[in-house]
Amino acid sequence: MKAVFIVFNQANTERVEFLLDYVGVRGFTWWESVQGRGTETGEPRRGTHTWPEMNSALLTVVPDDRVDAILEGIRKIDHINTEVGVKAFVWNIENGY
Amino acid sequence: MSIYKSAVEKPITTLMFFVAVLVLGVFSLIQLPIDLYPEIEPPYISVMTTYSGASAADIEVNVTKLIEDRLASVDKLKEITSSSYDNMSVVSLEFQWDANLDEAVSDVRNALDWVLDALPEAADRPNVFKFNTSMMPILFYSVTANSSYSGLEKILDQKVVNALNRIDGIGSVSMNGAPTRVVYVDMDQSKMDAYNLGVEQVGNVIKAENLDMPSGNVKMGTEDYQLRVEGEFDESVEIAELVVGSFGGKNIYLKDIATVRDTIKDLSFDQRVNGRQGITMIVTKQSGANTVKIAGAVRRELQKIAPTLPPDVKIEEIFDSSTFIRNSVSNLSETLMYEFIFVVVVVLFFLGRWRATLIIVITIPVSLLSAFIYLMMTGNSINIISLSSISIAIGMVVDDAIVVLENISRHVGRGSSPREASIYATNEVWLSVIATTLVIAAVFVPLTTISGMMGVMFKQLGWIVTIATVVSTVAAITIVPMLSSKFLKVRPANKRVMRFGYVNTVGRFLDVFDRAYGRLLGWCVTHKKVVVVLAAAVFALSFYVFGMVGSDYMPETDQGRVTVMIELQTGTRVEETMKTVRSFERLVAEKYPEVALTSAATGSNDQGGVSALFTTNGSHISNITFRLHERSQRKRDVFELAELMRADLKKYPEVINYNVSTADGGLMGGGSALQVEIFGYDFDKTNRVTADIRRRLDSIKGAENIQVSRKNDRPELKVRFDKEKLMRHGLNSATVSAYVRNRVDGMVAGKLREEGEEYDIIVRLNEDSRNTIRKLEEMTMLTPQGKQIRLRELGRVEEHWSPPNITRKRKERIVTIDVTPVGVPLGTIAQQIQAEINKVEIPPEVLVRIGGSYEDQQESFQSLILLLLLSILLVFIVMASQFESFSNPLVIMFSIPFSFSGSFLALYLTGTTMNLIAALGMVLLVGVVVKNGIVLVDYMNLMRDRGMKLNDAIVVSGRSRLRPVLMTALTTILGMLPMALSAGEGSEIWAPMGVAVIGGLTFSTMITLIIVPVMYAVVSKSGERDKARKVRKRFRFMDNLDSGNQN
Repeated sequence: MKAVFIVFNQANTERVEFLLDYVGVRGFTWWESVQGRGTETGEPRRGTHTWPEMNSALLTVVPDDRVDAILEGIRKIDHINTEVGVKAFVWNIENGY
Repeated sequence: MSIYKSAVEKPITTLMFFVAVLVLGVFSLIQLPIDLYPEIEPPYISVMTTYSGASAADIEVNVTKLIEDRLASVDKLKEITSSSYDNMSVVSLEFQWDANLDEAVSDVRNALDWVLDALPEAADRPNVFKFNTSMMPILFYSVTANSSYSGLEKILDQKVVNALNRIDGIGSVSMNGAPTRVVYVDMDQSKMDAYNLGVEQVGNVIKAENLDMPSGNVKMGTEDYQLRVEGEFDESVEIAELVVGSFGGKNIYLKDIATVRDTIKDLSFDQRVNGRQGITMIVTKQSGANTVKIAGAVRRELQKIAPTLPPDVKIEEIFDSSTFIRNSVSNLSETLMYEFIFVVVVVLFFLGRWRATLIIVITIPVSLLSAFIYLMMTGNSINIISLSSISIAIGMVVDDAIVVLENISRHVGRGSSPREASIYATNEVWLSVIATTLVIAAVFVPLTTISGMMGVMFKQLGWIVTIATVVSTVAAITIVPMLSSKFLKVRPANKRVMRFGYVNTVGRFLDVFDRAYGRLLGWCVTHKKVVVVLAAAVFALSFYVFGMVGSDYMPETDQGRVTVMIELQTGTRVEETMKTVRSFERLVAEKYPEVALTSAATGSNDQGGVSALFTTNGSHISNITFRLHERSQRKRDVFELAELMRADLKKYPEVINYNVSTADGGLMGGGSALQVEIFGYDFDKTNRVTADIRRRLDSIKGAENIQVSRKNDRPELKVRFDKEKLMRHGLNSATVSAYVRNRVDGMVAGKLREEGEEYDIIVRLNEDSRNTIRKLEEMTMLTPQGKQIRLRELGRVEEHWSPPNITRKRKERIVTIDVTPVGVPLGTIAQQIQAEINKVEIPPEVLVRIGGSYEDQQESFQSLILLLLLSILLVFIVMASQFESFSNPLVIMFSIPFSFSGSFLALYLTGTTMNLIAALGMVLLVGVVVKNGIVLVDYMNLMRDRGMKLNDAIVVSGRSRLRPVLMTALTTILGMLPMALSAGEGSEIWAPMGVAVIGGLTFSTMITLIIVPVMYAVVSKSGERDKARKVRKRFRFMDNLDSGNQN
């Protein structure tokens, strides 16, 4: 079991939703409208007048074999236009109920 | 849930909502009546009082003054003027525009009740008379005939008037100058003397013979008969055969001493159409009825009637107000269409995408049709004011949609899916879109508060533009994102670029343009001082130009009609006046092929009734109307023709006064008349001052149609009785004056009945026995003793000059001199006249001032300046709260003065005068210009907040916002272009606004793109540049931390 944390520009919402369905991931937790900014080049997403765009974030816990597919999908989404922005991070899940 | 998100997520609901707006709009459009102007109720009330036998001076003291004093305290009264004539007093009250006239009328009635007791006993009860726009005729026809002329009245009455009266919405159909049939019995004075007969005896005999009398019932056998004595004349010939008396045992027949003429009434009035004898027929509508519809119905009805009329009767149209309405409306509709096309072309040019253009263009019908819904709900009509307002709005309603769509397509271009981009991109801009709309509302809503004549015009303009822009904003944040989410497409990155496609042609041109502007801006921000000095110089120069632009009140319109008033020496006979008129008509027919129809009314018509209140007439005066061909079919306009006609009239030595006017005194076409008002009680003194000023006015170039309100004294014949001699013969003034009247004016001796119609039988002396003073004195009348006595033995006939009419204003006697400026601006001429007046020696009790349109102009400009200040303040408030800053709005407002500079320049270059409409255009500019500034400054703030250096931020924002700014400016400029250039009917009114807005916006857009960034740089220098340093100061306590790789 791995946890995948995906943060993405809201403009990518539809694509991320499609990706999850496509790779067969059903469960997730979704935060609509979160703020953030990229470590190197990523523009801030602050929902202010200056930086009006916003991100959404989702956390999904998936079997290990799904992780690569998800990351590959995220890479493809990011490839369309890196400026829009999508990131995914993976870590281990110790246990769960 | 935000409105744009719901719109995107519920496309069908959104679509249905706008379909509903469209359907309602179209429904309103079909239902709305078409008229020339919005319905207005001019706030005028007149009080007319007749007091027979009193001279003008008596009337002034005994009637007019009393009424004036009492009415002066009526609520909401603005001005009180009065005219005292012989036998009649007219007091005119002008109320404030917001007054309720029904209340005013009842107030006036109540006030008059108090006066009644104080009025002279012989005076009639005062009549209160309310002016109403529905009394203005909508159609004027001339009816001419040759052989049927004498029967014209009957023919028209039966066949035309009755038929027309049946049309729905017709107010009245009346005829002017119609010949009426009369039977004249012209007596010969010497023959009457010989047989010892008087006019009264003859008249009584005719009356006595012309009788039908029911005389009871007769029972015969089984029947019951009614008995009637029948003596009525069947034909007028019978009258001549009557025995009127006997002399020396022989019967005297009427034919022995008189001639009987069965003819048409002698008129001191002559009505001709194209030189042929005729009459005029006037059609009015009921208030609120659709002029265009009624005029059409009347025209169709007349076509149906025409074949049933005798072949020589011709009905021609002199004036049809619906033609002007229809032409203006179709002209404006054409303008709207061109504007629409221009806007589409501009959007397509800048965006280069069909779908995007289509989405933006959809907001135009939606927002414009909502204006029709407003008109429908408020009971207005489609008129030139409302249509013009719509054409002003058309360039502005796309702006918001452009801003929203531009942002959406930027996101889509970055690869976002259209659906998401529509929501998030709208989210980014919706606040600033609403702010710009608020700015527009801040300019237009105050317009609706103006009252008076201007208010009628500006109220609709204010509401229509506000409503259309608000609806367009709503559309921009609902239906535009919704449609974008459905129709915009992500362009594949590898899409083949066509060699001569948009990207390689227009796109490349625009890129070059962007770069050039970026370089220019880069230079400017580093040479701020030069730019500021240059801008100040340009601004100063524009004020110099402004000094050369003339000022006017209202633009005049070419209504295709010229009215000419010709006045000969007072007391000239109608026949003489007609000679001059005929000669002038011939001259006009030869010289001016533009004239399609000539209608002349010469002399006074006692049947005229109410219309006599509005036009001056008399036997020495002729009113001529020339109808011209349609504007498109002639080269010269009415103003030029009027000018030439004035020159022609100067050549007639017998014409002592003339007035050539191109306006019909309507609502807006009132033109620029100017009045010199001379107050003072003493006739001699005011006359002297008036004559002096009048003489000086002649020397002023461009001062035409000079009319003095106080007319020359009128010659009059007076019979003065010697009371003692009257007594001696057992007569009194009343009887003798009745006798004189019977002999000169005629005695009505019953009626001739024929086919249900009645015609007067009039007995009087023949023309030859009453055409000199001598012959009048020789008139004989019978004393109660049956003796003949001559008028000469009872008194004398004297020639006299009767005093002039007395006009008063604000309860003081006044003489006015009307002047129409021709080819010279109103303001200029007012100054020149004032200069001349200053040279005149004016007695201390006489006051001279300039009024009329000049006064209105001053008042209107003052209230417009007030309005401008209010608008600027409101705009500042909106911007300050949007930017959360005091300095940013100031930076943006720097562009406002330059828009005025541009307007002045454009007015000067096109030779347009600064009139009310142009001034209004400049007020509108405030909103439009500021909008551009907001777009620019907003983006600069954004760039700086995102961490760019000041100068870089300015250049980058400038380049990025160049296209949207140019686009919104161009749509407004090109939207106004057809208005400024249009030459059709009614276009003169709005052309100055077009010129002012185009000039102002073009100039200020260019300046805005330079001066606003530069001022932004100047203002930002001190405060915001070291924002970062200030923040660091507050967090001193972290100074010793390891700050990583950035220092």
